[in-house]
Amino acid sequence: MRIVIAGAGEVGSHLAKLLSNEEQDILIIDENPERLFVLDSKYNLMTITGNPASIQGLKDVNVGRADLFIAVTPHEDSNMLACSLAKAMGAKRTVARIETYGFMEAANRPLVRGMGVDHVIYPEYLAAQQIITALRRPWVRQWFEILNGEIIVVGVRIGDNAKLCGMQLKDFAYTHHNFHVSAIKRGHETLIPRGDDRIQAGDVLYFTTRREHVEDLIELTGKTEYRIRRVLVMGASKIAVRTVALNKGEFKFTIMDRDREVCDRLPMRCPEVNDIYCGDARDPDTLVDVGLDTYDAFIALSDSSEANILACLTAKEADVKKTIAEVEDLQFINQAEGLNIGTVINKKLLASSTIFQLLLDNDASTSKCLAMTDAEVAELEVKPDSKITQAPVKDLRLSRDMTLAGLVRNGHGMLVTGNTHIQAGDHVVVFCLSGALHKVERLFS
Amino acid sequence: MIKKEHRQINITMVLKVMGWLLMIESGFMAIPAVVSLCYYERDCVPIFTSALITLIAGFALNKGLHPARTNMAKREGFLLTAMVWVVFSVFGMLPFLFCSTPLPLTDAFYEAMGGFTTTGATIFDDVEGLSHGINLWRALMQWLGGMGIILFTLAVLPMLNSSGGMQMFNAEVTGITHDKIRPRISQTAKGLWGVYFSLTALCAFLLWIGPMDLFESICHAFGTVSTGGFSTRASGVCDWDSIYIYVIIGVFMLLGGVNFSLIYFAAHWRFGPLKRNATLRSYLKIILLMWVIYAVAILIDGFADLRNLTVYPLFQVLATMTSTGYAIPDLKIWGPLGLALMVPMMFFGACAGSTSGGAKIDRLMVMVRYLRNSVKTALQPNSVAVVKIDGRVLTPDLVSKTVAFLCLYVIVSATGGVVLAAMGVPVLDSFFFALSCTTNLGVGPDAAGVGPGLAAIPDCGKWVLCALMLIGRLEIFTILILFTPSFWHK
Repeated sequence: MRIVIAGAGEVGSHLAKLLSNEEQDILIIDENPERLFVLDSKYNLMTITGNPASIQGLKDVNVGRADLFIAVTPHEDSNMLACSLAKAMGAKRTVARIETYGFMEAANRPLVRGMGVDHVIYPEYLAAQQIITALRRPWVRQWFEILNGEIIVVGVRIGDNAKLCGMQLKDFAYTHHNFHVSAIKRGHETLIPRGDDRIQAGDVLYFTTRREHVEDLIELTGKTEYRIRRVLVMGASKIAVRTVALNKGEFKFTIMDRDREVCDRLPMRCPEVNDIYCGDARDPDTLVDVGLDTYDAFIALSDSSEANILACLTAKEADVKKTIAEVEDLQFINQAEGLNIGTVINKKLLASSTIFQLLLDNDASTSKCLAMTDAEVAELEVKPDSKITQAPVKDLRLSRDMTLAGLVRNGHGMLVTGNTHIQAGDHVVVFCLSGALHKVERLFS
Repeated sequence: MIKKEHRQINITMVLKVMGWLLMIESGFMAIPAVVSLCYYERDCVPIFTSALITLIAGFALNKGLHPARTNMAKREGFLLTAMVWVVFSVFGMLPFLFCSTPLPLTDAFYEAMGGFTTTGATIFDDVEGLSHGINLWRALMQWLGGMGIILFTLAVLPMLNSSGGMQMFNAEVTGITHDKIRPRISQTAKGLWGVYFSLTALCAFLLWIGPMDLFESICHAFGTVSTGGFSTRASGVCDWDSIYIYVIIGVFMLLGGVNFSLIYFAAHWRFGPLKRNATLRSYLKIILLMWVIYAVAILIDGFADLRNLTVYPLFQVLATMTSTGYAIPDLKIWGPLGLALMVPMMFFGACAGSTSGGAKIDRLMVMVRYLRNSVKTALQPNSVAVVKIDGRVLTPDLVSKTVAFLCLYVIVSATGGVVLAAMGVPVLDSFFFALSCTTNLGVGPDAAGVGPGLAAIPDCGKWVLCALMLIGRLEIFTILILFTPSFWHK
């Protein structure tokens, strides 16, 4: 597929790297040649210096032949303009990164489509959704559900006191039929496990299961369930505002920010917020003043990944049960997870989830995707006559960097075993390591 | 997500890939073996044996090694690129060692390295006496080396299509920056090889409908488009004494000196890049200027025949600037000027991204503009001067890298000259040969009737020249970087 990416910022560069590893044809256009220089010399893609929101720039990248046009410059208006132009010049599908909810609302879809923007990415909105999910289920690291929760993928960190510690996976599978261990994140690496892998304390295990068995996991992994009510948010960022807006009375949010002016304007931007404090959340004394120990959860959403991680660690010390940090540097994500910060939010990964969804499926309506640092989980609908339907799973000779976890057939969820024979129309949950998504796509089409 | 970076170079993986490449080379070697068989020549067996040895060596490396890690990063890319040229030459010299007109080891290696680097300095005195198989192999080596061995493998082997492959592309393709013509490196490689192949085929066809026979036209097409310069005749192209052949070979040498991505775009009816390209304009202007200088000199000397004024000097300018090294008969009579002008022409060569050698006109342009800016800021300390090429501002980084390159280029060729002179080679020959090999031209001062030529170079001197050819072909940094301690450890 020929993909044009407009804007070599953080999200654009990340997408370009990922997609070029997925064996797509990538052209990336940006006005700043220095940003492109690094990408050009390191990755298998083509760079063009030019303004992506100009006709000349789009002509230079030959946008008329693009299958997918992704506008991810920092400015919403130039993204919309670039998409409009690209669509008019013949790009097959366009995606714009947006910053206002209006473009995303279902009621406004025809209007936005009429402008030539087929899909939108709103990383802040996706992040807010992820935060709300995490607050609802505090013991979970990652939560991914398909078809109303018929199949659920749950990422859980295995504590020292968990029953599972030290167990071999084949023994676990023998005694627990209702779970499929699809991936293990150990240290800096994600593995697709085999039967003789042993579960260790500190691993993050990705279980695939059905809704009625999820609760059993809490005990198995040595967790306790608790409800979250009061939430302290550090940094009045766009994500914070979006999160508060998404909340439907479940949680009570308190927002802290260093900047007096931002705090003053906050009630207008975000009327639902419970309390606003002006102060630096990195300072332990301020946190004590705010009454940190009376909160159930702490969310750090400032600009600096380091500050977010450190603030979360302080909150952990004060016995806040759940901490969530926004970590924008990909290198820090594993560090943060290693430090036992509950959930990590990363806008780049969320944006790439949306793009992967588009890659797997032309209209993105029947598939879902979750990008992690070095692996992806995807839901795909099986098309008639695809390769995957030709034999039972154990005879398919799947490559080692992917595994089929579960499927939904006729609205009923089940786990995949070696004897499962996948049929057309099934929705299948696939785990794959980074760079293998195109193999998965080939299997399913 | 910082993966533990492996400090050790993954030498097993490099060797395994080398096995692949050797198998490709043996495939190429099989072509002259078959041709030789068709002509019922005795050389068929030795060439076939060489191909078999290469195949076995390649197969053994590829199947025998099981690297623990299969990743190829930056340093592996550099190492493989540098190594492949040496290893290819080592196996490529086997036919010269075994054939019915055998060469000693040093000479055989010199011939092979001269072939792959498209230097085209031949060691054979009696080229006509060589078998068809050997002659084709000489031509084929140049053709493979002209566009680049690595580029060829990137086009045919999908396994190198990773960031390691990117590094190899950057390490092998000439020029200040490396333009890609298509989003993926394998498509870029395929596109460039497509252009290269078509040009060669067209050149061979045009020569064939002229006075050349099929075999010789193919050999000359290989030597011309790759700007190598091996011929099937001892006196080279002038043996035919045909205006048609001078013109055809001249035109294809000219094309061989143009950035191949421009030809690619033109072949796809996209003339924008062609019109915008300042390097191409300078290339053509320099050719014209050099021709005028020669023509004036010839007029003054009184050789006012039309052929002497037009075809010969133009052919000579093209052969030198594109580093092909075909010579015309009259060069000897042009005397000192003919020789003197060759030095700047071969030094700067033709456009980057072409098959030609030299330091490239792109760098000449950066240098000229940089020097002009330096003079300007000396007079006007407050003026802000930038180096612009094709309307684009070059970053100071790139400018300083280019200037550093030119310095290194001079240092390398001068060092080569000093070493040769110390071996007892006459001073003129030492420096001329050193520069001529670094720029992959391959012509000695004897072409202009000065000095004894290659005969004056002792065996150890030939090894020095081989090293210079390789350094020049890979544009210095790729080789130089292997000799820095930090490349190997820490």
